[in-house]
Amino acid sequence: MLRSIRRAADRRRQADGQYGWLFNPYTGDEMVSIDCETTGLDPKTAELVSVAAVRIKEGRVLISDSLDLRLQCPESLSGDSIKIHGLRGIDLDGGETLDEALEKLLDFIGNRPLLGWCIDFDLAVINRHLRPRFGFDLPNACLDMVNVYRREVRRTRPDLEPDLRFEAMAKALGVPVMGRHTALGDAVTTALMYVRLKNGSRRAS
Amino acid sequence: MMVDIDLSQPPFSLLDESGKARVSKGVDLGYFDNEEIILDAGQPGEFVFIIHKGEVAELDSTLPGDQGRIGHYSAGDLFGAISIINGKSRYRFKAEQETLCYLLPKALFEQLCEAYPAFAEFFRQTLANKTRLLIEQRNEGGMTMAGFMLASIADCMRPPLIVGEATTVAQAAAALDDSHADSVLIQAAGRFGMVTKTDLLNALVLEGLDKGSPVLGIAQFTLVSAKPGDYLFQALVSMTRHKVSRVVVLENETPVGVVELTDVLSYFSSRSYMVSLEVEQADDLDALAVASARLPELVKALMAQGVRLRFVMDLLAALNGRIVNKAFQFIVAPPYQAQCCLLVMGSEGRGEQILKTDQDNALILADGSDWPDCAADMQRLTETLIKLGYPPCPGNIMVSNPGWVKSESAWRETITHWAAKRDGASLMNLAIMLDAHAVAGDATLLEGLRAHLFECCTRDELLLSYFARAALSFSTPLTLFGTLKKPEHGIDIKKGGIFPIVHGVRTLALERRIQPTSTLARLEALAEEGRLERDFAEDLGEALSLFAELRLQQQLARLEGRQKSEEPNRVVVQSLSSLERDLLREALGIVKSFKQRLSHRFHLEY
Repeated sequence: MLRSIRRAADRRRQADGQYGWLFNPYTGDEMVSIDCETTGLDPKTAELVSVAAVRIKEGRVLISDSLDLRLQCPESLSGDSIKIHGLRGIDLDGGETLDEALEKLLDFIGNRPLLGWCIDFDLAVINRHLRPRFGFDLPNACLDMVNVYRREVRRTRPDLEPDLRFEAMAKALGVPVMGRHTALGDAVTTALMYVRLKNGSRRAS
Repeated sequence: MMVDIDLSQPPFSLLDESGKARVSKGVDLGYFDNEEIILDAGQPGEFVFIIHKGEVAELDSTLPGDQGRIGHYSAGDLFGAISIINGKSRYRFKAEQETLCYLLPKALFEQLCEAYPAFAEFFRQTLANKTRLLIEQRNEGGMTMAGFMLASIADCMRPPLIVGEATTVAQAAAALDDSHADSVLIQAAGRFGMVTKTDLLNALVLEGLDKGSPVLGIAQFTLVSAKPGDYLFQALVSMTRHKVSRVVVLENETPVGVVELTDVLSYFSSRSYMVSLEVEQADDLDALAVASARLPELVKALMAQGVRLRFVMDLLAALNGRIVNKAFQFIVAPPYQAQCCLLVMGSEGRGEQILKTDQDNALILADGSDWPDCAADMQRLTETLIKLGYPPCPGNIMVSNPGWVKSESAWRETITHWAAKRDGASLMNLAIMLDAHAVAGDATLLEGLRAHLFECCTRDELLLSYFARAALSFSTPLTLFGTLKKPEHGIDIKKGGIFPIVHGVRTLALERRIQPTSTLARLEALAEEGRLERDFAEDLGEALSLFAELRLQQQLARLEGRQKSEEPNRVVVQSLSSLERDLLREALGIVKSFKQRLSHRFHLEY
């Protein structure tokens, strides 16, 4: 509710701006799977370390044309998160500034619907950085892979309590986990899970 | 990082680093559900598919059921390239499991083909060329040795020393000394004869010839010859076979060079010659047994050096022949040797035996020969061969069995009888006899018998049709690829691949009265006659070599005790590299189309 009011307000403000087109309804058949690696798990404080996005079109995952951005070392980069994503301060040398990165991300995703695994977290972190700089939150339609999967399991095997952990979902769907805990790897794996599910239900119907 | 394709395997190994990078950056991922049709017959090819995970069947939907299965692809395999080259797909590709593929877009594939001709060529190549690639790849590192082994005669021959017919012994000796040669060629009446240093020495010292007498008198005019383009290896084989130390290289009937054994030896410093030397020098059975036991070691060394299997087969056939011949000479008294002919049959007769398998042999006695101890001698021969490492034949097709020792006229009757009877056992005996090869005694006895065999069989269409049927008795195991419940069972390479080719080619050879017994030589002759297209004959030969090589790997592994399997003929597809699998698939495809031709030619459709 709050989100839609915000979006309506953003839209009116941006109507004549550079990013007004992002608010137009999407008419194509593509989606974008996104994932971020961050310095922590609290969306209020976590900083972006890397951002990746990959398009999905006609059941294919277009890894040949994907976005994989490393950002300049944020101050809050700490040992705990390095253990997860493996990006040290030195690996981020020559990374993008937050402004450049967000601009590239907006250009890449356009007004396509977004897909992600627990996408709310990624959106919260991105929007926290996006709003002060560009004046709006990501207006795109969003789909959480966890919800898509939960719904599918409820429909086909109501007796099962779905295991919603990332690896367990990939395994249940028979999708190989590509480059776990890299932004692009997780984005691609999530995209594959989605294609796998949509493919299956398309054939079933 | 996201792209996990083995770019070190052909065809990608034919790209350079920047080409490989274009592949890794240019592919997308596609997911296909079980039973989903990935590419249908008649559809334009939009992608080259490289399987990351899953299994895909290639189907010809015009054929019913399992017959329509053309191929099977699993992780690491590639398909769809041909569909792009041809514009549309000829067959249907269907996922047989949930399948994840990398998709290489058509545009990128075409750019790569344009930029890297070798890459483009890969997809147009015949099996023969692909096998060469495999061998080259295996031999990175060992390449130099294989290069030596595959050197042509022209690389190693020395210019011939030719003198006129009026030359005296003294002049010939001077000429030899001047040019540091070992042999001289005498030109006389448009023919060429050879005189070696040994010949000169024997003539002067032993026969007391005068220094001034013409050298023509001692020249040898039956020359063992070769062509400049032949492999050096073949020269070694013919030297072993004819027991000489040099071959004359002829081009258009004119000598262009001489290859000396010592020259070849400097190329093959390895043990191959040592073993043949040991066989030659063995003057009792024990020494022969020692030499004979070293053959597997020789095979392993040659294979490791990447020598092509057909040359290994040639060399081994020559060596095995010499061993059996020696054993025969030790046992049979000289007066009887000329009255009979010892035959080896089956794979040994075809020269396709690499490691020693069961002995299959028989004896033809000349009509009217008088050899009272024949049965006892033959019993001893069989026992000796067992000692030399040739296991007894379970079907008892051995000279110790009186049924396989007969006079020439009795053999003729037997063959006529077999041809008339046409039951399973008779057909098998005919097939065995057809592959017979003379290793000792009077070879003309076998020639007469073979002519009789052809006489009995070649015009009998019904017999040929019965004969050919055996080639179809085992199905081609294409369907089993990868889908086996227990992959360790593997596919039976002998029934599925080797036997149909060998027997089919044998049938065609019988029909066309082709004399040579080795399958490759028969194929060559069939292509020569136009009975088979040359390309197809080459592919069949290549397929056979591939099967034989896969089987040999299993057998060697078993010899070393690395593998305990009781089934040396079973190949576990999953343990092969993706290129080997690709080759195997293609080879089995060739077997399948050969069977179709056979059943068409000999009316076996019903």
